Amino acid sequence: MSKPSFVYVTYIRTTPEKLWAALTDPKTIGKYWLGTSVDCDFKPGSPWRMNFVDGRSADSGEIVEAVPPRRLVVGRWQNHFRPELEAAGVTRCTFEIELADYYPDFGGQAVKLTITHDAETAQGAPMIEAVSGGWPKVLANLKSLMETGDVTFQIEARS
Amino acid sequence: MNSTTSKPVFVYVTYIATTPEKVWEALTKPEISEQYWFGYRVQADGGRGARMTARNPAGKLAHDDPIIESDPPNKLVYDWKPLYRDLPDERPSRVTFTLQPFKGQTKLTIIHDEFDEGSKMFEMISAGWPAVLSSLKSYLETGKGLEPSWNDEAQKRAAAGA
Repeated sequence: MSKPSFVYVTYIRTTPEKLWAALTDPKTIGKYWLGTSVDCDFKPGSPWRMNFVDGRSADSGEIVEAVPPRRLVVGRWQNHFRPELEAAGVTRCTFEIELADYYPDFGGQAVKLTITHDAETAQGAPMIEAVSGGWPKVLANLKSLMETGDVTFQIEARS
Repeated sequence: MNSTTSKPVFVYVTYIATTPEKVWEALTKPEISEQYWFGYRVQADGGRGARMTARNPAGKLAHDDPIIESDPPNKLVYDWKPLYRDLPDERPSRVTFTLQPFKGQTKLTIIHDEFDEGSKMFEMISAGWPAVLSSLKSYLETGKGLEPSWNDEAQKRAAAGA
């Protein structure tokens, strides 16, 4: 049985360096990540903690790989605010950044961000289903922030 | 994006800081589509039973497909069979756009399905839609789509296409 997986690609008018900064700077993350922020130094082996603005833990994991400005892997990613998702166990999320052609026929380049969020086992399906709904919002917000200086979703407390 | 079933289905969701009416116009009016759809003029405003046509930047007809359902500015469904001669000859697939107001913006969902198992076209559209929809979001939020370079090679392909 294949492991549940979610893949999302977006193209952003920016540079790989600026996008890397937006993915790893806690203050910037707090602007677009829907009422959460991240506490992490983004060094391999370091703990990665995502907290709500009121300080409660949302998710946690650890940095598996961090290769600026190209590749970031957060492993042992587990939800802590919805019991049924916490029970789904750990997942892994890979962020890949590249200056890429949009599509062979179109010519031109933009910064391509690919998110691949995998469950470690079939048991992780509920978590992958949940992040499948969340990633498009977070990444829409991130793209808007990079291109317009503002987000589309205002920060709100999530529970 | 999901290809776990034997008949592949492509699903992509994005959120755009504008109204469903503006997104609808951008999906159906050629003078708008050419500003973000990498120069393609896509016309799909004729309603159910009319045609969805698309012309590439060289003016060649790339699509002439039936519109299956048109409910402005909520839902648009059309068949999809590119006319480019160098593409695999597969049966028409189907594109469904759903536009929903969501917290002061528009949630845009595209489902592209009705491919046969092992479809080559499925791989192509899976690479193409994220680029088109990223450019659509950029255009509606900043006034500028993502720019194609239309380098020599791309221009030659456009002129030779269809």
